[in-house]
Amino acid sequence: MALAQRIGRSRHRLILLVLTAVSLLTLDLNGFGPLESAQGFVRDILHPVTEVAGVAASPFSDAWNGVFNYGDLERENQALEARVKELEADEIRNQADRQTLERLLIASELPYVENLDTVVATVVRGAVGNFDSDVITIDLGHRDGLESGMAVVTGAGLVGRVDRVDATTSTVQLISDSNLVIGVRLVATDEVGLGRADGDRFVINQGLDWPEDGDLSKLPPVGTGVVTSSFSRYPADIPIGWVTSAVSPDEGLSMVVRVELANDVADLGFVSVILAAGVDQVPLPETVVPSTSIPAGVSPDDMSLDGIDSDDGGATEGGDGG
Amino acid sequence: MIPLKVVSVGVIAVVIQLTLFVEVRVAGVAPELLAMLAVLLAFYAGAERGPMLAFGAGLLWDIYLPTPLGVAAVTFAIVAFSVATLEEGLFHDSRSQLAMIVALGSMASVVGYALIGELVGQRGLIDVEMLRVAAIVGLINGVLTPLLAPVVRWALVEGTQ
Repeated sequence: MALAQRIGRSRHRLILLVLTAVSLLTLDLNGFGPLESAQGFVRDILHPVTEVAGVAASPFSDAWNGVFNYGDLERENQALEARVKELEADEIRNQADRQTLERLLIASELPYVENLDTVVATVVRGAVGNFDSDVITIDLGHRDGLESGMAVVTGAGLVGRVDRVDATTSTVQLISDSNLVIGVRLVATDEVGLGRADGDRFVINQGLDWPEDGDLSKLPPVGTGVVTSSFSRYPADIPIGWVTSAVSPDEGLSMVVRVELANDVADLGFVSVILAAGVDQVPLPETVVPSTSIPAGVSPDDMSLDGIDSDDGGATEGGDGG
Repeated sequence: MIPLKVVSVGVIAVVIQLTLFVEVRVAGVAPELLAMLAVLLAFYAGAERGPMLAFGAGLLWDIYLPTPLGVAAVTFAIVAFSVATLEEGLFHDSRSQLAMIVALGSMASVVGYALIGELVGQRGLIDVEMLRVAAIVGLINGVLTPLLAPVVRWALVEGTQ
């Protein structure tokens, strides 16, 4: 009897806790300022403790990695050695290519962070849990002028965006996070679209259309540079990577472009933050979705091929509406 | 009033999680100290106080997680309630049983966190990888139980006297 009463009481408490959590979730998802400030306050207070503890724990973690990840380090070392030899062999050929590349960059007008202020940040730690491998923490916060949404880059290009900003630290959502949607532009064809990580790859899967006449020569060539578009929430023309393939998953309607990222975000030590305010929402480029449905109130007999072909605007609206 | 010792144990667990277990991982998976703490708090504090303390531990962990505030907290509270209820009705205190309860509770916490995280709009939490992570977390937390259990017991017993 007493046990049943206790469980009954605790069940009521659990319901209260669930309601509290739902309230917190709602407030947090709506960006309730005081709640974010309170979380930032706790993180700021604990930051010096974690810094000291990190230094104290580093011998243990180094020893652990030395013992259990030795094979990985050895493989990485071998791969790096092979890469160095490969680069040395390519050096002579690259000298000739470099002039061509420089001309191409000038022609493409890539003013990559030329006129923008940046600050260099050290990566404090990587993922803290088992589900957030695409987040890093850097040692700069709003005291250093950082704001949520700012672009984070290295010399190779975009790394991610500043997500959560505290007084002295910030978290960065990496480009490898599939939740991070980026407005991109293909340098060679000047097309814009939206891209995001998809597993180990980065794909541009919104906003690009397969050539209407099926002419494959109009596809973006392999190796084409991919940069942030002026539609994106970041400054335009930040390098993202280069095209590795272009396919059509729906038999010639839309186009999916696979991109090899310029940055290896798995092992970052230092990054730069572009001190230009980011935009919260990505303005979606208008996509044309071909619709095969017949608008309400229109008889199929009344429709002619000529009428459909000449009414592009109507097709677009119908697609969006559907 | 929540005993100061319990709060201290929670903070120390977070600090260890943020420092040591960022690097020290087994097959790429870090132990979930806060989930283990939640289960142990439920086990030792019972069905009335356990879920509340677990909720607090989850809230502390939520502050550092990319998911919205409250996901880990509500997950830990539900798991703690289940553990405490089962413990009162079925289990008796023994080391092997405790390790098993912590292992299962930790696995449930990982799965519950992923499920609730997906519910509130986080992508890519539920997949085969989640099951692998849950299994390894359960295993590691079960093994680590003898280290943390006395600390939690000390914090709760001394704190209420």
